Amino acid sequence: MICININGRDIETAENFSILDAARANGIKIPTLCYMEGVSDIGMCRLCVVEVEGFKNFLPACRTKAADGMKITTESEELTAYRREMLDLILSNHHLDCMSCAANGTCELQDLCNRYGVKHSSYEGSRREIENKMPVLSDNPFITYDPGKCIHCQRCINVCHTIARNGTLRNGRSGTFHMVDAPFGKGYKLTGCESCGNCASVCPTGALTLKTEEKYRNWEVKKTLTTCPHCATGCQFYLVVKDNKVVNVEPAYGPSNHNRLCVKGRSGSYDFVHSPDRLTDPLIKDRETGEFRKASWEEAIAYTAKRLTEIKEKYGAESLAGFACSRSANEDIYMLQKMVRTCFGSNNTDNCARVCHSATVAGLARTLGSGAMTNPIHDITHDVDCILLVGSNPEEAHPVVGMQIRKAVQTGTRLIVVDPRDIGLTKYADIHLKIRPGTNVAFANGMMHVMIKEDLIDHGYVEKYSEGFDKLKETVEKYTPEYVGEICHIDPKKLVEAARMYATAKKAPIIYCLGVTEHSTGTEGVMCMSDMAVLCGKIGKSGCGVNPLRGQNNVQGACDMGALPTDYPGYQKVDNDEVRQKFEKEWGVSLSPKPGLKATEVFPAAIEGRIKGLYIFGEDPIVTDPDTHHIDKALRSLDFLVVQELFMTKTAAYADVVLPGVSYAEKEGTFTNTERRVQRIRKAVEPTGNARLDTDIITELMNAMGYPQKRLTAAEIMDEIARVTPSFGGISFERLDAGESLQWPCRDKDHKGTPIMHAGAPARGKALLYAVDYKPSNELPDEEYPFILTTGRILYHYNAAAMTSRVQGLMDIAGEGFIEINIRDAREKGISDGERIKVMSRRGEITAVARVGRKVSQGETWMPFHFPDSPVNVLTNAALDEFARIPEYKVCAVRIEKISNEC
Amino acid sequence: MKKLARRDSMNARIDVVLRKFRSRMNSYPPGMCPLVLYRSLLQISMNQTCGKCVPCRDGLVEVDRLLCDILNGDADEGTLSRMESMCRMIARTADCAVGVVAADLILDSLREFADEYESHIKNRKCIENVTQTIPCVTMCPAHVDVPGYVALIHAGDCEGAIRKIREKNPFPTACAMVCEHPCERKCRRMIIDEAINIRGLKKYAVDKVSARDAGLPPKNVSTGKSVAVIGAGPSGLTAAYFLSLMGHHVDVYDEHEKPGGMLRYGIPEYRLPKKRLDEDIESILALGDIDMKCGTKIGRDISFEDVRDSHDAVYLGLGAQLGNRMPVEGADGKNVIPAADFLQLVANGNAPDLTGKKVVLIGGGNVAMDAARTAVRLSAETVHVFTRKRDDYTALESEIESAMQEGVRFRTLLSFLNIELDDDNAVRAVWLQPEIVGEYDAYGFVTTEHSSNYPYRFLCDYLILGVGQRSDSAVFEQAGIPTVRGRIDAGLTTEVKDSPGIFSGGDCVTGPSTAINAIAAGQVAAFNIDEYLGYHHKVLSDTPLPAAVPNPCIPTGRAEIEEKDPFERRDNFDFVEMLMTDEEAMRESGRCLRCDYYGCGAMTGGRGE
Repeated sequence: MICININGRDIETAENFSILDAARANGIKIPTLCYMEGVSDIGMCRLCVVEVEGFKNFLPACRTKAADGMKITTESEELTAYRREMLDLILSNHHLDCMSCAANGTCELQDLCNRYGVKHSSYEGSRREIENKMPVLSDNPFITYDPGKCIHCQRCINVCHTIARNGTLRNGRSGTFHMVDAPFGKGYKLTGCESCGNCASVCPTGALTLKTEEKYRNWEVKKTLTTCPHCATGCQFYLVVKDNKVVNVEPAYGPSNHNRLCVKGRSGSYDFVHSPDRLTDPLIKDRETGEFRKASWEEAIAYTAKRLTEIKEKYGAESLAGFACSRSANEDIYMLQKMVRTCFGSNNTDNCARVCHSATVAGLARTLGSGAMTNPIHDITHDVDCILLVGSNPEEAHPVVGMQIRKAVQTGTRLIVVDPRDIGLTKYADIHLKIRPGTNVAFANGMMHVMIKEDLIDHGYVEKYSEGFDKLKETVEKYTPEYVGEICHIDPKKLVEAARMYATAKKAPIIYCLGVTEHSTGTEGVMCMSDMAVLCGKIGKSGCGVNPLRGQNNVQGACDMGALPTDYPGYQKVDNDEVRQKFEKEWGVSLSPKPGLKATEVFPAAIEGRIKGLYIFGEDPIVTDPDTHHIDKALRSLDFLVVQELFMTKTAAYADVVLPGVSYAEKEGTFTNTERRVQRIRKAVEPTGNARLDTDIITELMNAMGYPQKRLTAAEIMDEIARVTPSFGGISFERLDAGESLQWPCRDKDHKGTPIMHAGAPARGKALLYAVDYKPSNELPDEEYPFILTTGRILYHYNAAAMTSRVQGLMDIAGEGFIEINIRDAREKGISDGERIKVMSRRGEITAVARVGRKVSQGETWMPFHFPDSPVNVLTNAALDEFARIPEYKVCAVRIEKISNEC
Repeated sequence: MKKLARRDSMNARIDVVLRKFRSRMNSYPPGMCPLVLYRSLLQISMNQTCGKCVPCRDGLVEVDRLLCDILNGDADEGTLSRMESMCRMIARTADCAVGVVAADLILDSLREFADEYESHIKNRKCIENVTQTIPCVTMCPAHVDVPGYVALIHAGDCEGAIRKIREKNPFPTACAMVCEHPCERKCRRMIIDEAINIRGLKKYAVDKVSARDAGLPPKNVSTGKSVAVIGAGPSGLTAAYFLSLMGHHVDVYDEHEKPGGMLRYGIPEYRLPKKRLDEDIESILALGDIDMKCGTKIGRDISFEDVRDSHDAVYLGLGAQLGNRMPVEGADGKNVIPAADFLQLVANGNAPDLTGKKVVLIGGGNVAMDAARTAVRLSAETVHVFTRKRDDYTALESEIESAMQEGVRFRTLLSFLNIELDDDNAVRAVWLQPEIVGEYDAYGFVTTEHSSNYPYRFLCDYLILGVGQRSDSAVFEQAGIPTVRGRIDAGLTTEVKDSPGIFSGGDCVTGPSTAINAIAAGQVAAFNIDEYLGYHHKVLSDTPLPAAVPNPCIPTGRAEIEEKDPFERRDNFDFVEMLMTDEEAMRESGRCLRCDYYGCGAMTGGRGE
């Protein structure tokens, strides 16, 4: 602590504080314009200048460190005059079209001019001439830059470079003038700009705005704090609502995003809410005509209950199944699985984690005792020495995590990328192991071989907190770098270096994603990740751990809430008598002790006739599940299909009854993000048409099926969850609304949650070092299908694009499917960049536009799975993992061909 | 991939422009409006803003606008105060030196050029007589017609060239050897490449044709008036020369055995051989009507009153020949000598034998360099020059370079403390105080202060003090001539204050300075004495100039005068400079742009005389 004096007041302040920090901490107001905490302190505006004894010049408070003994004056006639002068000068180059400016009401320049009584400039200004000739850049579908209103504070440039770390907004120059080189004009698609809009959210004036801001004035709207409905990063933001319509999104300082948002979160989170094709009424399909007709809720509920009850009576409880929606709220999911268990009478409930991270849930539970991300996002992206990134492309799939990783690696964290593609982060990677898809286990075994051989392991940790070391050592013995190099198609030396780098780093997280899980050996791949971390003692410590990045906003919650055939909420096993008795007591019915079918098993079971009735809440397996033809067959085999949805999806089209639910913006509830953080969603607008709260739909259905379920609010449901789920024991809306941020396990009202799991000892007691041999993927390329096809995500879309395809801007930026091909393969086949080609697998055939380059290796191809014009799951292989029954999206064999011109 | 900077990067290309820019600055012509120069400075400052901070990027623009208002004649007193407060604001709030210094510069201008600002605001024009003039003619204190004699040299007429010089300056030979050539400082040729080697060409002329044989301007008939000149140095002899040309009789009094003053007794032989000096002096005396009264010291051999009473006017060209000693103990010790005295001893043939001796010199002026290089030639074992700071090296850079080549060693940041004498009362060592550099003073020179290091003892056998000279003015002071700190109190007209008929100029008025300044003073004095005597005599020119031809302005190197090998020159007093060849002289003189004909030289009042 140091002592300074501000305006005659002695103040104790921290040593690294600026004068501004010190003043603010003590309630002394110093005006600022360009300054933005954590974003920009370049000192452009000079409004925060203060008088410091001993200095002839006035010093900017924002960028002058407080020093012991400083005597500071923040207000004087001269200072006020100078501040007014600065505003006068700034205004001299500012277009004063405040009347029609989108920033009217939020403009910080307007506010300060008002405060200092500066109505217009007394100067001519110098930049107007040139700025009048500079075009307003508005080709980007979301963001507009008007140079005439720019005050050149450079917040946008700094946020782009130091926060978003995209670095496409740059300083420019025209003669003596500073220019902002903004990538929003013609050719914006080629600039590398991710359209995240963080720049627009920091602009103090109307120079950089989101186009949507033109639709409203700040005083016309109400803002509701909620959680982003896209990936599982769990960004916090406000929905900006005017006349019961969401018109914009503004960032909030959430624990995982710290004011950052990505393009989907900012610009793709509300158009779908008000989409004209939202379902407004229950629909019942006429079995004769195959046409849907509108029905009343009473009819729809009664009809559905009747049909389900009939099937249950005729074929038994095991013939019914219900899938939860991992995009919906915890409360909805809890109710759905409760309905399946209490009304259907089976454990045939699951969620789409089955096809993304079920391997994680199963794998990490098996090795560490809990199947979730071990450390918080902030913890593994700030102040760490090395990041081992395996099968994850966070810049596209988890952009806000990607931004934080970019920041880490640009400021000194080493990065090892293990990925078959040249993902964006490879350009910052110290080492890129461009492994062959499907060889993760070999890679990890190779890493561990080197760690053991070079004695880089944490013997103390291994001895005290693990078991199975000897078996593991024996197994990895043969995985020499050379052997692994052959399997993975990598340079053995790079593997050795990667092992050394990871093992010797003090703080090194493993971050992985679907590149590890979506394999027929996915669970084993996950366990290998865990093995590496355990071997090096990087478990239960800050900046370490095994960190799967979950895919959907609430896929973590869907698993937590017991939408799993084997688990009640909180991973309590259905085959545990004690547990079951507890739930029987709570729910008042007897429950099935038999683990249910996994989602990927339900479809074959339907074809076989074992499943007759299926309730799908908010999922679209016809699009998202592998081998579309197989799913089509399964859905057609059903006696009765209910789909609870927002839109008439491809899957809903198969349904007998479609029940219109409501979106995240229309309800109360919670999402659990990838780092186990339970966060609130709040109702911002009234539901569309006759759509009903999902919990209410389920409750009514439960009652109609004879189960006396009281209608509960979301908060009351959470109380029930807390009551039956030890790891949620202390979580309530009350605490969350009071501003607490809770990561489960949170056992009771006084427990603050658990940011880092396995601290002290692994949850399992001793971590299991699971030894496993590498097994090749189920379907390898051969002469007929010579290419490996991998699927994945792109930045601009989310999952089956139900939400993002309803955002015109996102479709403008990225509107069609494509296939990445190595340039040599393309040359050989005579395929040129941008050409539409045929892609075939044993299961089907689609077309896609070829993107030729070096992103993928020779013999490999890659496709995003979002686009209906290139429905890649027609091709993918439904080969299932032994443990988690996760399908092998990441590897199947395909053939590519030019589309012949002959008709 | 990382990249090295391209050789033809924008910055490198800009550097080329900056070199050209610098030469523009260096050749900035005399007689310009300071405010437009400040505007250029301000423009450059504006160019240098990174565009980050409001005061610099937006404020300087407004200052520029106000300055434009002043230059456009749209300003009033309020403009000045607005400009001042705006600059004060910028200077106090800018983030870096680009803005702070730019605003400070304009604030400086308001102080330094208040008169010019006032003139623009009140009269919408520059202060009177601010017109552009020929750089070389203006910069030469004697306003010698440089383009004229360079053209004559180029035409192969060296005699004509010498005569052209003599219209303004009777020392063509001496100046060819030792002049500091201020004429070259702003040469317009620098816009293209480098300044014309004017001194070199003059030397070529006097080497080619002896000044003795070049002829003199036509002399007037005798007026019957008689003027006394006291001191036969460059200023006194110049006055005598012009007075004689005007037809007056001149008596020149000098205490030394021979005329020439510091040119003879100060400047060492290797720089100006006495034989060559005699060529100038003999030519002056050849005019006639000049009585040289050498070996005559006023106050000793004849009283000042007698001289004054027996002449119609008196010119005091005393010079400044007495070397200063420092007011420290031991300053009168054996082997401690002021530089001027030392040089005079050598010039008189009484050179001390410095063989095997360690010589120390305090001071960095031209006289100190002369003494150092002389000491080298007297076989000193080592010669060390100590100064307090780099700025103390006021000698011509070429002199310092030559001294270094000859083995003189230089140390700075050592200030002189005191002298340590041995039992014999002879110098044994000097004590020096290590210094550190500090802030700049008001004139833009860096100051120093004592560092915390201990003083430093430096053994030496011979100590030369090059710390300035003063005039032997006591006798005149007693006779009622007004002085200021030992210097004669005369103004720019050379009239001595409150002393009708008494004129004075050169070192005894200004303190030690250059030969050409002394010559200019003698010239001005002669004309003013003539006027005082009631005449307006002209010095006639009989040397027509060759016609000016347009110069193709092809960038061409400057022909330098080379010096002999340092090892060859360091053990004798032979003249050190080599000859400029005919070929070189033709090319060099061909570079002259004839500013007397082209540009401002063609305008009335544009010559700068």
